[in-house]
Amino acid sequence: MNRIRILAQDEILRLVSTRRGIIALAGFLLVWIAVLNYLILPAAAFFVGASDAGIAEVLLARLGLEAWQQWPAPELAVYWVVCLYLLPFFAFISSADQTASDRSRGTLRYLVLRCSRLEIFAGRFLGQCIILVLVVLVTLATVLVAVIFNTPDALPESITHAPVIIVNLWLLVMPYIALMALVSVLAKSARQATLYAVIIWISVSFLVGYLQARFGPLSFLDWVLPGSQVSQLMRLSDWQTLALAPIPIVHTIVLLFVGAFLMYRRDL
Amino acid sequence: MSLDTLIECEGLTKHYGSAVALDTVSLTLPAGEPIALIGPNGAGKTTLLSLLCGFIRPSAGQVRVLGQQPGSQALSGRLSALPQDALLDPRLSVGGQLRFFARLQGMSAQQAKMDTHRVLQTVDLLDSINTKPVDLSHGMRKRIAIAQALLGEPKLVLLDEPTAGIDPPNAKMIRDLIRAQSTRTTFIVSSHNLDELERLCGSVVHLEKGRLISVGGVNDDAENHEFVTLRINTVEESTFMMAAKALAGVQNITRTAQGDYLIQTDDDMKTSLALMQMLSDYGWRYRQLSRGKTLEERLYGDAS
Repeated sequence: MNRIRILAQDEILRLVSTRRGIIALAGFLLVWIAVLNYLILPAAAFFVGASDAGIAEVLLARLGLEAWQQWPAPELAVYWVVCLYLLPFFAFISSADQTASDRSRGTLRYLVLRCSRLEIFAGRFLGQCIILVLVVLVTLATVLVAVIFNTPDALPESITHAPVIIVNLWLLVMPYIALMALVSVLAKSARQATLYAVIIWISVSFLVGYLQARFGPLSFLDWVLPGSQVSQLMRLSDWQTLALAPIPIVHTIVLLFVGAFLMYRRDL
Repeated sequence: MSLDTLIECEGLTKHYGSAVALDTVSLTLPAGEPIALIGPNGAGKTTLLSLLCGFIRPSAGQVRVLGQQPGSQALSGRLSALPQDALLDPRLSVGGQLRFFARLQGMSAQQAKMDTHRVLQTVDLLDSINTKPVDLSHGMRKRIAIAQALLGEPKLVLLDEPTAGIDPPNAKMIRDLIRAQSTRTTFIVSSHNLDELERLCGSVVHLEKGRLISVGGVNDDAENHEFVTLRINTVEESTFMMAAKALAGVQNITRTAQGDYLIQTDDDMKTSLALMQMLSDYGWRYRQLSRGKTLEERLYGDAS
């Protein structure tokens, strides 16, 4: 367990101490500032105005998003939805190179002399999970700052809702990180890992579509792909969101199991 | 398995598709002097070392390293290696990566820092502790890779072509390093440089086409007593041959390289003394006189 912790620490260190990692973080920061400035804040202002005019309830009811009104601040509600769609993409990109380039370079051999393959696999996965949680914490903090300026009365309740968002977003990205851990075992570079993930994603989508068309609606197939619970999550708020937690947990376990098996079997 | 046994292989076989890289190799290697692993390209040297390190899995057979299965966590810090063509992460500093490896071997942060300094000092690259591998020369990167293999107190270190592509000063430094460390660590060294291995190692594992040809001491060939090897560059070949063939007990003389002669004799001791006397009488300065064949002659002498 200690070695898994050291490997996870190293994964975080690799992000913050390499030029590529710092450029990626700076890029993400710029994108996030743009998202906050041009999407979250204007959208929150729009719903505040719509609510004051009495049309927000009607609009949200038509969209099936009544749960939005249960969020203590509109900034938080918009942040929640933006993250549901944006964070998986970030997870895809940031966690693509868990073991791929280390394998092609031979660096993995130095590690295998000191710890097991499964420890390497688990440590890198854990490190990526921590990085994504840190990303959520930082972005959430920027949104809470916006809440202080726009709706200061809502801040205490917003802070109490923060754990709901953190836990849910962590659950959301876990299967994506697990998928990238799996394809990273097969790939020689981060780019190839991303390509493999896209191919797997599209192939599974087609297969699900084909099976649905061939055998009629099969409800379990709706939950095959990671993130399939997102449309349902948007309609929920507070801890009721955890009702959908088994879906990403099952996705993560299956993907990690397959990835760990491949990691265990592959020649280095 | 005795306490001194480092490696035990039984029927070890590795296939890559239909190609056989290692074919039912069985051997037992004890702790002690450095062990040479020799053979031409494709002999299976790297495959054998990769199996011992747990980088790959055998297709058949059994292998135990220090009494453990390769890849076992019980080997962490006890087995170390310089894998062929493996590189450190080019983006991170040398010192940072070595500290990370040391931590994975179970050292505390402070111990890891101290041991990183120690091994970098050993390979004379302490100045490069904050340098990234990409900024180092090939020879320096190789020495850094050897430094990582010396972290902690490994009982067994496997070096796959440690001096390949290295300039003579760096190669000498690596040889000196192995010699100095071999009092407490057993090295298995794979190389094509037989002259280097002969001077460095006490025993030889000879592989060819994936098969084990022989395992034994560098100098324990019975046939060795019938030969003397002389290195002399100061005399013309025909002049030397004429004089040497006249010596009692000399049966045959073959020039094996520029200035290198392999002399077949009835008695290597008597012929050595006679040769020395002859060289002294003629005033011919020689570079080296040794009993027996060189490792290269023993292994591939008939092939030329």
